[in-house]
Amino acid sequence: MSNAIYATLARQHGLMQEMQVVSNNLANSSTTGYKTDKVIFAEYLVNSGPGELSLSMGGLAGHSFEMEQGGLNVTGGQFDLAVQGDGFFSVDTPQGTRLTRAGHFQLSPEGTLIDSIGNNVLGAGGGPINIPPEARQVSISGDGTISVDGEQLEQIGIVTADGTLMRDSNTYFSAPGGFRNATDFSVVQGALEQSNVSPVLEVARMIEVQRAYEAGQTLLEREDQRIGQLISTVRER
Amino acid sequence: MKSLQIAATGMAAQQLRVDVISNNIANMSTAAYRPRVAEFSDLMYQQYLTPGTITSQVGTVVPAGIQIGTGVRPSTVSMQITQGSMKETGSDLDLGIDGAGFLEVTLPSGESAYTRDGKLNRSAEGEMVTMDGYPLADGITIPADAKSISISRDGEVVAYFDDQAAGQAIGSIQLVRFVNEKGLEAMGDNLFRETAASGTPTQVVAGTEGSGFIRQGYLEESGVDVVKEISDLIEAQRGYELNSKVITASDEMLAATTRLR
Repeated sequence: MSNAIYATLARQHGLMQEMQVVSNNLANSSTTGYKTDKVIFAEYLVNSGPGELSLSMGGLAGHSFEMEQGGLNVTGGQFDLAVQGDGFFSVDTPQGTRLTRAGHFQLSPEGTLIDSIGNNVLGAGGGPINIPPEARQVSISGDGTISVDGEQLEQIGIVTADGTLMRDSNTYFSAPGGFRNATDFSVVQGALEQSNVSPVLEVARMIEVQRAYEAGQTLLEREDQRIGQLISTVRER
Repeated sequence: MKSLQIAATGMAAQQLRVDVISNNIANMSTAAYRPRVAEFSDLMYQQYLTPGTITSQVGTVVPAGIQIGTGVRPSTVSMQITQGSMKETGSDLDLGIDGAGFLEVTLPSGESAYTRDGKLNRSAEGEMVTMDGYPLADGITIPADAKSISISRDGEVVAYFDDQAAGQAIGSIQLVRFVNEKGLEAMGDNLFRETAASGTPTQVVAGTEGSGFIRQGYLEESGVDVVKEISDLIEAQRGYELNSKVITASDEMLAATTRLR
């Protein structure tokens, strides 16, 4: 087969994957603390054989998250928290500590602060946070200090990753390179950070992907016709 | 073509959101109803190229890798702990709880249930019962010849009679607190049941240990904020449409593929 077909197929495969990313972004347009996924395409060279010119193809090389701040949805919930600025809540999961921007927390029957799937939310010291059962008013200040009925209790842990972040399900991120306490943030009580997916941009990207895909298919059709014509012309000679 | 399934999870999520919102709006006049909110989280990610994979002999690594998400799922539909506004009714058997806490009710099965709906009545035997006829667990019986009763902020029930000036204490209503109210199981009829997630009930005197006060002659209104619900509804509807557009676009891409021989 000709090189044009190979190069187009590589592009089509990449577009299919980009479509998945776009649809995952749109599916998560109401997910608290979700960060938009972006894809990075890169050229890669394929050696066609000794003495031949190498072939350049495009493929999905990596992805990045749009870490832009999501809008704050004011809920008024006592344990609905949002981070403004740079930082994540840290959560103790069976797989290790995970980072998240989804601050939809509640109390366990023992009075420990847990997230929506029951994992402990960690304090600044790295331990779980216990709220006394007779607490009437729990307030959490901008720097994450938790006070119960006017008495300072503990500080909620806000961290940033040292290396790259990896996505995990449940709006968790893992930080294989470790993490440290964040400095440039503020915690907002009674609000949740909305998904930062911009529907307009995603729909525009979706149309772009779809049309690029169709253009690729047209190219494949033309190439097919061209080869067909070539074969019939050769046969007629 | 996974984008079709991913968009389908998105549509299902928005559908659930609309279901929750419609139940909230339907209960905008239900006494002491607490609005529910659907929360979502992303599904697992497929690892095509793990970040940190070594790409050369000198140890360079892939900085971001390729992880492709597979959609969205509902994570919780949780009750918002809000205080509804207090509506004055003037009835001496209407109780509003101003703050945290529940009234304990005994079901016909003998099981305990918990409610914040303080619209009480008198049964044929004089017992204080809910609108469905379930007695309060405090077991207070109002004497048949009582002229009026008064319930203090901390739950003391005093009956007054025609022939004596001083009232007679006939019992007290205690409030019940849970560590995690969001963990209670809603049974319908404004009743809740204890679960492993809610923690065990603690009986407290109203106004102590973080609980609220009892207000006689008031009822707590529904905590639903209709304006917020409607704006959420619009958002959910548009979210649903966006996901259906993804299905259309993915379908057209597939159609383009099948047009090739």
